[in-house]
Amino acid sequence: MESLGEETWDVVISGTGLSQSLLALALSRSNKRIIHLDKNDFYGEHDAALSLQEADAWAQTYAGGGAAQQLDQPHSSTNGTEVPVAGPSGAANVDNSTTATPPSKEGSSIFRNAHMWKHSDAEAKGLSFPRAYSLALAPQIIHTRSELLSQLVSSKAYRQVEFLAVRPSFFIYCTTDTNGAMLARIPSSREDVFSARNIPPRSKRRLMTFLKFVIDYDSDEQKPVWQEKANKPLSEFLVDKFKFDDEDLRDSILALTLTLDEKITVEDGLAMIHRHISSMGLFGRGFCAVYPKWGGVSEIAQVGCRAGAVGGGIYMLDTEVSISEQGNGSEVTLNLSNKASIKTTAVVSSQQTCSAETHTIARLVAIINSPLDSLFDHLADHPKPAVTVIVFSMDPPIYAFVHSSDTGECPEGQSVIYMTMKATPQSSEALDGALECVLQVLESVPDEPEADVLYKLYYEQGTSAREPVVKSQGSATMFEFPSPSVGLAFDDTSLDAVKEAWKIIMNNEVPDDEFMKFEDREGMGDDDDDVSD
Amino acid sequence: MAPTSASEDSLPVLKILLIGPSGAGKSALLLRYCEDQFDPESTTATIGIDFKMKKLAVRGKGYRLNIFDTAGQERFRTLSTSYYRGAHGVILVYDISNKKSFASMEKWVDEARLNANPEAVLYFVGTKLDKVAAGGRAVSFEEGKAFAEAQGAAGFCEVSSKTRENVKRPFVEVVDQIVQKPQLIAGAAPSAKAVNFDMGSLPSNPCSC
Repeated sequence: MESLGEETWDVVISGTGLSQSLLALALSRSNKRIIHLDKNDFYGEHDAALSLQEADAWAQTYAGGGAAQQLDQPHSSTNGTEVPVAGPSGAANVDNSTTATPPSKEGSSIFRNAHMWKHSDAEAKGLSFPRAYSLALAPQIIHTRSELLSQLVSSKAYRQVEFLAVRPSFFIYCTTDTNGAMLARIPSSREDVFSARNIPPRSKRRLMTFLKFVIDYDSDEQKPVWQEKANKPLSEFLVDKFKFDDEDLRDSILALTLTLDEKITVEDGLAMIHRHISSMGLFGRGFCAVYPKWGGVSEIAQVGCRAGAVGGGIYMLDTEVSISEQGNGSEVTLNLSNKASIKTTAVVSSQQTCSAETHTIARLVAIINSPLDSLFDHLADHPKPAVTVIVFSMDPPIYAFVHSSDTGECPEGQSVIYMTMKATPQSSEALDGALECVLQVLESVPDEPEADVLYKLYYEQGTSAREPVVKSQGSATMFEFPSPSVGLAFDDTSLDAVKEAWKIIMNNEVPDDEFMKFEDREGMGDDDDDVSD
Repeated sequence: MAPTSASEDSLPVLKILLIGPSGAGKSALLLRYCEDQFDPESTTATIGIDFKMKKLAVRGKGYRLNIFDTAGQERFRTLSTSYYRGAHGVILVYDISNKKSFASMEKWVDEARLNANPEAVLYFVGTKLDKVAAGGRAVSFEEGKAFAEAQGAAGFCEVSSKTRENVKRPFVEVVDQIVQKPQLIAGAAPSAKAVNFDMGSLPSNPCSC
């Protein structure tokens, strides 16, 4: 082990999830002495993107019912079809206060009940080598109006990330008496409504009125329309105020909220539909949300870590950290799993266990041996979408985010589908069923080749308390980020905790409004061209 | 003939990575090549260098090289997969005065192969050639060359950032190899599929509405 020196570190950041990595980015010009480590041998923590080999090992680690677990298992390659193996239990928390948690919801690890499945003839059907895949644990889309994008721009980190368009109009899965199942386009702009052929004129007028209302729903003029009903279900409000008696139309509007809960409130629902509609066209025509290539926010986390390294931060993976007993007031001593011991005045990590009050979601990630081209159609002057959203309006609703190979998450000619719903005892079967429905409805589309599922990863994901935990040990600070939000679109509120941690560590040395504002770093070479023939 | 009328921004951009063990002299090579600077006192990991830009004309055509340094992430072998994304060439650097440095190259080749585009050009460079005069060579030229050939590298040379000897050669030869691979260079143009953020149009406070 190389020496890490005797001096006291200003900050030790544990975990390379998005929040910690954005903090590393925020601190990258601060001249603070920073060690940033992760117990996994890959970047991203709860927001990671995994190769198939990593996904297999990950599924084994989180196969159990949810005792807080460690991820530092040696890899084992598996060729079997189904591999649910009970993972070892042990505390993953920095403060070691939550050992021996019961497999109940509260106090259990963020991920659980993971299992993977592989087609018995996967390779013959087209499954490529493990690193040809990059399965995102956090496949959120990012609305163009998101503060995250503003911060990536003002910090110049956006230059290292490639953003792809999300298809602006979602599909809704519906069954009709005459045609069987079909995917209908959800109108999300006035142009869409105007050109839609399957909506009767009366409904069109109502939709137009509603979209106009949502654009400035939060204005003094419009607030009285909904404020009294702020906590009522949005679906009731749509019937009462806008006369959306047609259930299909109502479902379409609800789908724009991307809610995992049918009973979304008026206040939350309107905010989400507003975000969707007002994001349209912000960065160009034809999309309202983007997705970072190569595995979603995992890529942003890596870029944040790179910025931290460029700023002088030391990076270590596969290294667990625990707090040593002794402490002398102003600093804490940490033991690293590689036997090194370091002193610091601040430790930033993330909460590793679920709280009782929050939802748990179920996810199914499936690799498909077909490009599913018909889902990524677009107008000639719009960017080609790499992500398409399909909604199943049921209680609770199911969402399928279909990623083309443009995301870099699978080889060309294939696609990855991320299915999400609120966890129920039947969610594994429900997600499998919905996946089958997607593939079946596409089989009826002309020119769509037959599609097989080659690989599936199922897991459940909970959330910690939504507020950061800030503790002091003497004058040293311990800060724990909340676990990632399980929303389907990136939730800007998670950025508040990053700024809070930054303020604590900067100790008010710089004004708040300088947060994440940097100049480009690149140094230009001399202007004389070198010529070589 | 290098294009003169087209703006320099329209030059194809090539991403070149420097990798290899700590202390091999990656940053020294980068600074000497791009800025003709050399700091004999500097022995610690370089802070603050993300990448350097350098224009280069090869076979009569101009290119913009973005040459990336490891930012110290080689020290504990924590270079991220995103570092390797879109790289056209990878220059693997070792110190010819240090056997251990050379011995670690196999691991670095594996890492580059695992993470970089399979088409990317690999090139080996032995540094600190100036130390030979004082009897400091620990790895022979032949050993280095044989290793590079065995690994199927596009080329090999030894350089001294201190004396400037050969410092341009690796970059010229890497670019020369890259431009002969049409499918690799096709990626030098900005991806048509990616959303092009026109940052001029970005509202300073998107939440203000």
